Amino acid sequence: MKKVIVACGSGVATSQTVASKVAKLLKEKNVKAEVEAIDIKSLDRFIKTCDVYVALTNPQKDYGVPVVQGIPFLTGMGMEQELEKLINALK
Amino acid sequence: MDVLQSVVQYVLDMGASVFVPIIMLMIALMARMNFKEALSASITFGVAFAGINLVVGFMLDTISPAAQSFTELTGISLTAVDGGWTTAASITWAWPLAFLAFPIQIGINALMLIFKMTKTLNVDMWNVWGKIFTAVLVTYISDSVILGFVVIAIQTVIELKAGDIWAREVEDLTGIPGVTVPHHMTLIGTLLYPIDKVLDKIPFMNKKADAEALKERLGVFAENHVMGAIIGLLLGFAGGYGIQGSLILAIQAGTALTLFPMVSKLFMQGLAPISDAISELMRKKYGGQELYIGLDWPILAGKNELWVTAIILIPIELLFAIILPGNIVLPFAGIVNLSIVVAVLLLSRGNLIRMIFYGIITTPVFFYIATYFAPHITRLATETGTVNVAPGTMLAWSTMENGEFRFAFANAMAGEWWGIILAILWIAVFIWFYIGRKKDNAAYFQEKAN
Repeated sequence: MKKVIVACGSGVATSQTVASKVAKLLKEKNVKAEVEAIDIKSLDRFIKTCDVYVALTNPQKDYGVPVVQGIPFLTGMGMEQELEKLINALK
Repeated sequence: MDVLQSVVQYVLDMGASVFVPIIMLMIALMARMNFKEALSASITFGVAFAGINLVVGFMLDTISPAAQSFTELTGISLTAVDGGWTTAASITWAWPLAFLAFPIQIGINALMLIFKMTKTLNVDMWNVWGKIFTAVLVTYISDSVILGFVVIAIQTVIELKAGDIWAREVEDLTGIPGVTVPHHMTLIGTLLYPIDKVLDKIPFMNKKADAEALKERLGVFAENHVMGAIIGLLLGFAGGYGIQGSLILAIQAGTALTLFPMVSKLFMQGLAPISDAISELMRKKYGGQELYIGLDWPILAGKNELWVTAIILIPIELLFAIILPGNIVLPFAGIVNLSIVVAVLLLSRGNLIRMIFYGIITTPVFFYIATYFAPHITRLATETGTVNVAPGTMLAWSTMENGEFRFAFANAMAGEWWGIILAILWIAVFIWFYIGRKKDNAAYFQEKAN
């Protein structure tokens, strides 16, 4: 199964909020993927095994995986575009 | 009052892992959530309680004996074990009146938006726990639940006002317009504002430092398992465990710190459907006007200055824990001091040198506040039955956010004259910050734009 990671400051609250939201939206669109909230301090480890990275910050490095913006899933603004980007990246 | 008390008692007797999911299920069904989804979310919340009980228990079982052995060897008594914010949040959700804080935050925010007293729409439902925690501490110290909720209301207003001020800075730091961080962890930054005005005049404090290079080098130490193992090893040696025992403790401590976030995120998983529904509703209702959407602090987590400061503070905290007279808190799960770094990142506009300076000077304050509140945190853990704390030990949070506010207002509500003075002082400094920073922002961003 394809894997999506969402990273925040401790891998508990914000990342899990976005992860739950993304998982729900993907389920509605019948896209199968595992969505996991992780700690940004351990990002370098987790990014190696994921297919898409949902970022809550502006990543300064190129990780070699598609990056989707996470903030729109919190504010609702521009969420549809980011969701579409995510779904395309998972195809 | 008697009825309320007996209801509360009945509810307490069932234990949080049963009682809280029942409340959540009721709220979810009233909000017309799908039953299957509501049931799953509620049970997840119950599982989170049982899980945190295991992890905190494991931490206390492994860390406390080492701390006691350290005390016997040195005479320095660090009997309150630091469970960090994850433990504090978990036991707070178990407070029987916890969910009453939601309508208070939402109601005050709505009123302030309608009367144009704020531009911040706080959709961060997770950090309602910070308000509940304030209410618990005020209730314990003042002996009045009502006053606990009065202070929640004050805190909500202040958070939104702070959110209005921080918005411009958040946009500058993250590049995202229209969002802010109305988190009470930033309020210590408002108290440091007078000092910041002095630092403006010192050339060394206005230098830029390269945080990125430092982050690349120090980053590995901030990973939970590595940091836990190092602290465990040091504690083992300090407790006279020998190499074998210390290495075992190192892995156990690494385990505890790795499991904490894993279990804590179950709370958010359980809360997600409710929190999502609330924030969507609020956005729909008020989203038309020009607003700052209030989010949790991790939208700033990409700033290297944050992590570099937090890592540099770790050895300083360990040192202070030992040398500060009267401190009883052994820093552990809360040792990454998020409660200072986010606030001073905003206050100093990302100036690393100032951030480290603020981190160091506030460390003793954090320890004394942690020492003061340790018995109350232990009481909450014991009363809600979420965590078993052995007699002679206590549960603490070494880096409690917004501790000054809680200390001042809890004692003011208890009728202490010095508490009332501190609370008035607190508000006065906040107003100073609010007016001063507004002017500073206008000048600073004008200059930056030119």
